[in-house]
Parts: sequence; structure tokens; C-alpha cells
Amino acid sequence: MQGIIRTIRDGSGFDILLLGLALLYLIIFSAFPIIYNIIMSLQTVDMFTLTSFNRPFVGLQNYYDIFSQPVAGTIFWNTVKFVVLSIVFQLSIGFGLALFFQQDFPGASYLRGLFLAGWIMPALVVGAIWKWLFAGDFGVINYALTSLGIADDRIFWLSDPNVALYAVIIANIWLGIPFNMILLSVGLASIPRDVYEAAELDGAGVFERFRSITLPLMRAQLGAVISLGVIFTLQQFDLIAALTQGGPADSSNVAQYWSWQFSFQTYEISLGSAVSVLMIIFVIVVAAVYVRSTRHEHSY
Amino acid sequence: MKRYILLIIGLAMTAIYLFPLYWMYLTALKSSTEIFQYPPTFWPADTQWNFLEVWKSRGMGRYIWNSLLIAVGVTILATTLGTGCAYVLSRVRNVWIEIALFAILMMQVLPSSLMVTPIFVMFNQIGLLASPRIAVILAQTAKVLPLYIVLCRATFVQVPRELEEAALVDGSSRIGAFFHIMLPLARNGILVTSVLIFLQSFGEYVYARSLIAKNELQTATVGLQTFMGPNANDWNGIMTYAAIYVTPILIVFMLLQRRIVSGLTAGALK
Repeated sequence: MQGIIRTIRDGSGFDILLLGLALLYLIIFSAFPIIYNIIMSLQTVDMFTLTSFNRPFVGLQNYYDIFSQPVAGTIFWNTVKFVVLSIVFQLSIGFGLALFFQQDFPGASYLRGLFLAGWIMPALVVGAIWKWLFAGDFGVINYALTSLGIADDRIFWLSDPNVALYAVIIANIWLGIPFNMILLSVGLASIPRDVYEAAELDGAGVFERFRSITLPLMRAQLGAVISLGVIFTLQQFDLIAALTQGGPADSSNVAQYWSWQFSFQTYEISLGSAVSVLMIIFVIVVAAVYVRSTRHEHSY
Repeated sequence: MKRYILLIIGLAMTAIYLFPLYWMYLTALKSSTEIFQYPPTFWPADTQWNFLEVWKSRGMGRYIWNSLLIAVGVTILATTLGTGCAYVLSRVRNVWIEIALFAILMMQVLPSSLMVTPIFVMFNQIGLLASPRIAVILAQTAKVLPLYIVLCRATFVQVPRELEEAALVDGSSRIGAFFHIMLPLARNGILVTSVLIFLQSFGEYVYARSLIAKNELQTATVGLQTFMGPNANDWNGIMTYAAIYVTPILIVFMLLQRRIVSGLTAGALK
């Protein structure tokens, strides 16, 4: 007993205790739910078997049921569009802004910091604001588009099945720009100035310098930001809940929202689990690639 | 001269980006007929201060209280569990620590909307849903704890090892060195990271929506979502609600802006 107390006070027991507490918590509330999720996706879980510990085992039936749903194709394709379009625009706008604010002018870093206001706000509130901006009859976006002559008529952003998904994507791009911009700014700041000066002396123009210096030196950063973008985009739920709730007719529904709808709206919990398992696997693979690439970078 | 042209372009871009925020405050201040004017006005003709009314009629006090309670609970639990763990991860280097760190990084990315299904069933079976706010605190802590550990670890890495070693040579115990040397030196980073996870939990939606059944225990996000309902027309009120809700968040953010930015970037890229 004395020995245990001493090792906790003064030895490696102290480390093990501190590490163990947090890890134990994460195992109970994070790792175990994942395993439980996999088990549930192989069972029938609905309102009747919810509290039971002995549920019927159905094998891969739930996975089969998901893919045989008529909307499955639409939803997975929507998810792909949601992720790809969000990232392409977040990244290019964020990169553009990072390059712009990298220049030397008064208040540059202060203004850049203001952009993070969009990132710190609860996504549900951002969704509420965008819902009002997108409003069909009185929305300011429609006013801007029609008065600038970009659109002939009002666009019913959230109730037209052809555009609802794009409305959600636009709001998500707005949310993601600050994070992309700040992370890329850090990368840009670490490129030594004299590399550019040397290139300029050799007669390289602005685009040449960007292509042959900035892009190659930012490769690791861009990789990190893209993987984080995939991860954050797949976490996006609040925005969809606020804007369209996946509608109209699943036209703006994505996998992470679909999974929640199964579990909490139609109570087909095992189907929700199955979608969730598939998406978690995908997210973890992306994250593993990201972590490996940043680790790799450290060994230089 | 060029610097001032850049400044003007920079200001213009910031203004365009922050327009949605401006529109929220503007709509909150307009009268309920003015918001439906077309073309819309860009400055309130007849400023209305209906903040108190919306606060009372929507029962915002209760919602905000629940959100605060959950955010405080999550922050206390995550800092208690996470700080020591972050310290160990920053000091010890061996293969087990590498594995633990990798596992923590993996858990950082799990989306709440996907984790909520097994958590709901599990909490239901062990009866935790009877105290739903605690259930949300437990679930949300599991969500933010990895992020807290990763960001805090970056702070501890910056504290010179020699300071701790000197204290140990002087006869301090490990516990003593941790509380008297390491914690005070890492104070800033711990503070900023706690603020960050506090703000994140203050705006939490998925777990509150899915685990809390009773309206009087709901959070401010769910209150806003209910307000928005399927046929929402009271955009004036909704934007007032939103403005009341996010203004404190924005103020805290403005005060700590620089530190949050540096803490965040250190953690995400190292």
C-alpha cells in the first residue's frame, strides 16, 4: 500500500494515473460506443428491443436494407457533392484570403482575426442566419442577385429540390473559410522571405513564384487542411438541421443526417447504426491518413 | 500608397464576409413590418429594441441557463481529466504513448451526429437519460476531451523540461512539481483551451436535441430551432434571439482572439 502511494506521488505511477483517468473515460464514452454501434448494426434495434440486452442477430441485413432504400444513391451522392464542393471552395477562398492578408498593410492580422467570428459561432445560429438570408420572398440574397442582374427571378433556395443542397453547401463554405484561412496563413508565414527575393532577382513573376515556391512548400499544409476539411464537413449536422432538415424530399440530405433521422425520427435504430458505422470507418481512415502525414513531416 | 489600397480591399472583403452577422443585428433592430419590405433596407428606419420582450416570451433565461450548465459541466470535467493526460503525453516518449496519442487523435474526429445513436441506446439502458443534462455533459465531454488534450499538450511541450527537473532535484515530489511548476507555467494555454471547449459546448446541438426530452431542460440551440419551426415568420424575433445568444460568445472571442488563434494553430499542425 505504502509503495503504491509512493509511486503515485513520485514515480511512474503518477504518469499512469493521469493518463489512465482520461483514457478510461474515452474508452467508456467513445471507444465502447463505437464497438456497441457495430454490434447494433448487426441486430434488430427498434422501439421494442431498445432496452433489451438480448436482441435478434440479423447479420448484414441492415446494411443490405440501407443500400436497397431508393434514396440511398441520392444521399451518398449528395454527401460526396457536399464534401467535395465545400472543400474546393473553402480551400480556394481561404487560400486566396490567406495570401492576401499575408501582404504588408496596416491592420492585416487584425482583419484576418475578425474572420474567425464566423467560426466561433454555434453552427445552428449560423444556419438560422443563412435561412433568413436565403428566404425566397424577402431574402437579401435574392434581392442582391436580381438587382445585380445575375438571376432573372427569385430563387427558392431552401424549397427548390434542385438548389437546396447548394444552399447548404454555400452556408457551409462560409463556415469553413476562416479555419482554412488561418491554418494556411500559418504555413505561409513559415516560408522564408529570402526564397521569394532570390526568385524575384532571377526574374520569376508573381505566378511563377506562386507555382514554383508557394505551392510546393505548402504541400504538407494543404494536405492537412484538406483532411481536416473532410473531417469537419462530415461532422456538419447543425447547419443542415437549421436550413433544410435534409429536405425537400431528401434532395439536400447527407449521410450523417440520414443516420440521425433513422435513429431519432423513424426509430429504425439499427439502420441508423449501420449508416453511422460506415461513415465512422470513412472518417477514421481519413484521420489516420492525416495523422500519418503530419507525423511523417516531423521526422524531417 | 499601395498599403492603403490593400487596406481598403481588406476592409471590403472583411465586410462582405461578416455581412451575415450585420444582417442578423440589423434584422433584430428592424420593426416586424420593415423586415418584409422589398427592396430591403440596409439601415433600420425605425429602430426597435425588443430584446427584453423576446428574452421573456421565448423563455430564453431557462434555455441559456441549461446551455451554461452543460458548458460549465463539460469544461470542468474535460479540464480535470485532460490536463494531467496532456502533461504526461508531452513529457514521456515511448511506443505506448505514441499509440495513446494516435488513439486520442482518432477520437477527436468522431462526428457527434454519428456517435449519438450508440450513446443514446447505451445511456437509455443504464438509465442515464433520467438525468438528461448530465447525459449531455458526459457525451459532449467525450467529444471535446481529445481536442482539449491535443491543444493542451502543445502548451506543455513549450514549457522547458529543465524547470521541472530543477524542482525535482530540490526535493519536490512529482505531484508538487506538477501543481507548483507545470500548471502555473502552462496556465495561459490551459485557459484559452478551456474557453474554446466552453464556447463549443455552449453552442452544442446534436446531443441536447437527441438526449433531452423535456423542453424545460433544453439548451439555447434547441430553443432557437423550435422557434424557427416549419412555418417561421417572426424573423425579427428569431434574429433577436440569435443576437442575444451569440453576442456574449463574440465578446469573449474578441477579447481572446489572438490567443485563441495561436493556440488553435499550434495544436492542429503539430
